[in-house]
Amino acid sequence: MSRTPSGRRLAGLTAVVSATALLAACGSGGDAGGSGTSDGSASGTEAAAGEPIEGGELLYLEYQPYTTLYPPQSGFYPNGALIANITDRLVYQDPETLEFSPWIATDWTVNADATEYTFNLRDGVTFSDGSPLDAEVVAKNFDAYGLGDAEAGFPVSEQINNYVSSEVVDADTVTFRFSAPSPGFLQATSANGAGLLSSDTLDGDLDAYAPGNGTGVVGSGPFVIAEETVGTEILLEARDDYDWAPAESEHQGRAYLDGVRFSVTPEDSVRIGALTSGQTDVIRYVQAYDEAQVEQAGLQLFAPQTQGVNNSLSLRFTNGILADIDVRKAIVAGVNAQEVVDTVFTPNYPVATGILSHTALGYVDHEAELAYDPDEANRLLDEAGWTLGSDGIREKDGQKLTLVASEAKPQPLSRDTLTLVAQQLKAIGVDLQILAADSGTYAEAIKDPDQVQLYHSMVGRTDLDVIKSQYASTNRDANLSDDAELDRLLGLVASTADPAARLQASADAQQYLVDQAYVIPLFEEPQVYGAQDYVQGFGWDTVARPVFYNTWLAQ
Amino acid sequence: MTLELQRTALLPADGAAPQAPAPRRRRRRGPRVTVLLAVAVLVLVVAWAVLPQLFTSHDPLAGVPADALQGPSAAHWFGTDPTGRDLFSRVVHGARYSLTGGVVAVAVGLVAGTAIGVIAGSIGTIVDEILMRVVDVLLSIPGLLLSLSVIILLGFGTTNAAIAVGVTSVAAFARLSRSEVVRVRRSDYVEAAFGSGGRWGSVLLRHVLPNSLTPVLALAALQFGTAILAISTLGFLGYGAPPPTPEWGLLISEGRSHLATSWWLTTLPGVVVVLVVLSANRLSGAISQARTARS
Repeated sequence: MSRTPSGRRLAGLTAVVSATALLAACGSGGDAGGSGTSDGSASGTEAAAGEPIEGGELLYLEYQPYTTLYPPQSGFYPNGALIANITDRLVYQDPETLEFSPWIATDWTVNADATEYTFNLRDGVTFSDGSPLDAEVVAKNFDAYGLGDAEAGFPVSEQINNYVSSEVVDADTVTFRFSAPSPGFLQATSANGAGLLSSDTLDGDLDAYAPGNGTGVVGSGPFVIAEETVGTEILLEARDDYDWAPAESEHQGRAYLDGVRFSVTPEDSVRIGALTSGQTDVIRYVQAYDEAQVEQAGLQLFAPQTQGVNNSLSLRFTNGILADIDVRKAIVAGVNAQEVVDTVFTPNYPVATGILSHTALGYVDHEAELAYDPDEANRLLDEAGWTLGSDGIREKDGQKLTLVASEAKPQPLSRDTLTLVAQQLKAIGVDLQILAADSGTYAEAIKDPDQVQLYHSMVGRTDLDVIKSQYASTNRDANLSDDAELDRLLGLVASTADPAARLQASADAQQYLVDQAYVIPLFEEPQVYGAQDYVQGFGWDTVARPVFYNTWLAQ
Repeated sequence: MTLELQRTALLPADGAAPQAPAPRRRRRRGPRVTVLLAVAVLVLVVAWAVLPQLFTSHDPLAGVPADALQGPSAAHWFGTDPTGRDLFSRVVHGARYSLTGGVVAVAVGLVAGTAIGVIAGSIGTIVDEILMRVVDVLLSIPGLLLSLSVIILLGFGTTNAAIAVGVTSVAAFARLSRSEVVRVRRSDYVEAAFGSGGRWGSVLLRHVLPNSLTPVLALAALQFGTAILAISTLGFLGYGAPPPTPEWGLLISEGRSHLATSWWLTTLPGVVVVLVVLSANRLSGAISQARTARS
């Protein structure tokens, strides 16, 4: 599926194994078998190129400036990219096999109904301000993330469910308790959303994490934020005394690079031009139409998958028009995701075949139910009483079948995608408009089902809870839902201790979303990076955020 | 700054007299080729705006996805965009937005600016002082900044963008019309009209306004080109018509990410905008020359 020659791919796979330093990665080929993007992710890192060289600064061009460094809000790519490199987590999750292994926690126990987790911590870990990373501060981290703090402006982390309290057992043992089973908690401790911060940092309010205060956000990770120019540039410097990489990592000790310079470069053509002309080392967000340029220039292209809820349009069913399930079903049937992918994207963006990406945990194939069927769409709309007007747009009781979609800047080629979807919907008599507004108006409009009816978004997380993050009315609430049944089903995913029953709960939630025609899945979203051929060991975490710990420059 | 220069050029300045013979000689040779070309371009673009279906059979909003990102060819003169829409068709249909936008912008500037100028110039005294200081303040704000502020207040859209652009030209129109009104008001025939018992309002309407408006109308012609450029700028920045409207600025903006691989997406609509603006400027220059020569 990938354009990369398979030989290079294989070499690359080996490379990722050592690059991300995962002893258990050998089985990953089978695990990620059908994924073009996993293939893509493996391509390029030719770590066989010799012994890593220490030193040098890497220039990384980022598409957008970060908005906050508060870990639970690391879902936004630019935030996550920084948090992934300046913080450590209790547990390490292999991005290929998704297996857990020790990191800051040396071992852990979970009780039978997943309401109590106990972690033993490794010794000698310090934050970059010199303070120790002990049970006390770990408890403080999770109390903040799990309970939130309205006064300081901290929301409850969408990844931590049913959290009640922490208990410091001794200096290197901490126990967390939950009001109900919280089977997703172990994975949550491995995600950027639970990046460990120093006690002083946690004393600040949400503003302390805002752009401009980056150098004050102190983690224990391999890099620290040394310089910041708001909205333009951030310099990460390696910590010389870093010595607590994940246990599985072959590479221990400090990062190979001396530093990574994040430079915000929003213009696509400038990022790609800087890469192909050799003025930068790595760029994020290589647009689909530029992938060929990167490959033709003989540079490395990585397309790791985000492995969660697919890039989708969520239907706001609390809107008058979309309250009718037949109209929703017609719109789902009227969208041809395959055409969108064929026209605008590349094989690195596989067509969605369900609510979740096929590499995500709990994926259920709903391809047949989501199939493109304009005849069925027309039939449903006819039956629902929407008759074709003279302008080719359906109407009912004097109301036009006009809907508005939100163009999402973080989503790849959102405007082109929506343009094609609008064209497809026009063929069944639905007028889809694309919201144009300044950022303030936009932020309000996307929270109003009468202003935006089709919401373009996705979310990555390698845990079954990811579906709850996207659709629960208490979390991201992509549908602006008032559907108690949906919340109940999502709640079960987050609160069922038995693994088999939990998988079933996720399947039930997916089935419900499909049956209710709440979602139009479009494609499985990768993060596409371009890098010079001398950049070695470039890696990423489970949701495709860049990890520079193993990266080195072979020149 | 450009506006100021243009405005000064249009003023029937006393200093214009020594230069008058030169244009007169040139004029005798008849209209220049460039003027004819400018007229041809503008006529063509107006025809695009009025009857786009005569010039292209492709749908500007619906493309053929399989034909995405094709270069210029006999089938697609300007090539196709990422979703397979015919770019020539989009440019032709987009003429309507740019031209109506230009007209609205000029109308706003002309009506509001002239009203302020005439009131200030004819009443004089403290009213003149206050209005002209307001105009000075308006002139001191960069045009694009003022447009953006207005459009944030009004909301996005073609008409709103046109109004926002129009607001930026109010000051230029006000200054010009005021100076003309002041000049005409002191002329003998106006004095005579007052002397023979004419009332203030009727003298203003019958004698002052008609005789002071000519240079203002010439400025309006010039403003038309500037307005199209400004509206395209706002469209480029995303403040104009929402997608998928084929507004010219938006076309250029949407194509800019493809600059390295699909040059036609930005270049061809860009060339059209440049041609139209140059034509409008050339035409207004010709009008202005003709007027100077006549006087």
